[in-house]
Amino acid sequence: MNLVLNTLGASIDKETIIALLPDKEVEIIDTADMNIAHCMGCNQCWLKTPGICAIKDDYENILKKLVKADNIWLVSDTRFGFLDYKGKRMMDRIMPMLNMTIGFRDGWMRHELRYHALNIGLLYQGAADQALLEDWCKRTAANIGGHSLGAKL
Amino acid sequence: MQKYSNTDKIVHTFAKGMEEGGVTWELHNLSNRKEWDAAREAFINNERTLIAFPLYVECVPSLMLEFLETLPKEHKQPAELSFMLHGGMDEGNEFRLCERFLRELPKQLGCSYGGTLIHGGSFRIRTAPADQVAKMVTPYFEMGQLFAQKGNFLSPEATKFTGMEQYPWLVRKMVSLLFLKKVNGEFEQFAKDWGCTSPLGDKPYSE
Repeated sequence: MNLVLNTLGASIDKETIIALLPDKEVEIIDTADMNIAHCMGCNQCWLKTPGICAIKDDYENILKKLVKADNIWLVSDTRFGFLDYKGKRMMDRIMPMLNMTIGFRDGWMRHELRYHALNIGLLYQGAADQALLEDWCKRTAANIGGHSLGAKL
Repeated sequence: MQKYSNTDKIVHTFAKGMEEGGVTWELHNLSNRKEWDAAREAFINNERTLIAFPLYVECVPSLMLEFLETLPKEHKQPAELSFMLHGGMDEGNEFRLCERFLRELPKQLGCSYGGTLIHGGSFRIRTAPADQVAKMVTPYFEMGQLFAQKGNFLSPEATKFTGMEQYPWLVRKMVSLLFLKKVNGEFEQFAKDWGCTSPLGDKPYSE
């Protein structure tokens, strides 16, 4: 399943998003008006209620969909050459998909996966550092066992 | 939340080192939005600003990004912005993308770049007994003294503080065999002590 998290709301329409994706079978979630808080690093999703975020807001339904997804595309604005805070917030909250426990994978120390690998792609707008965003996708996907689907303007 | 914060423990140890070096400082907690106005004022008025934070998903936490988006470019005097970046894993490579971002950030906020002090291994600050935690954060005291002396993290000593970029193959094997089981076991025990009743690898949303 391809899951798209659109943080841009109505400023980009569904057809435009689909046209930019390689696979047209997608579920798009418009997160712009959702109640989604920042991850505060409380570690409860790793150490107290494994896999369940302590913050009770609209991200819980997104997490349930992530568990069924193979590919996740983030649609985000940019700031300071990187994702803006709304886009980054979507990915910071992904922590319950990983375990606290650590091991070596691909030669690097990483958290173990709670479910399965996820591939990660980015559709962004604004004057950002393309190379930085491409590398961010690669690194973020590798941490969750997947590969980058690319970062596109 | 602040009492559980690894960043808070690191910052207070670092600040003691700065004090020893004769530097005065004020601290603002960005995880509390009520402190944002005062933090913004401090950013505008002070010669040096240092932002300490943990690595979140390869870069700056979204909460910090939101705060940064509220900062003006104007300052009352030439200003320098430096960073203290820490994270759970030991290897320096983990922090490099974030460091790239941080290198380019200060000029977008009207500041010069004062370097980034990088150090990993902070998971155990949260889970280890208090005496071990004190030992783990002690090196930050020396870095505070260094910052007081140099005014930034652009010195070779600060660069060296990061430690190993990647564990060599043999070390990875040794860490896997001898160390990881112990560390993961400590996490399990910490979780139990914290009231966790599920295995750490639980899959609550599996069908």
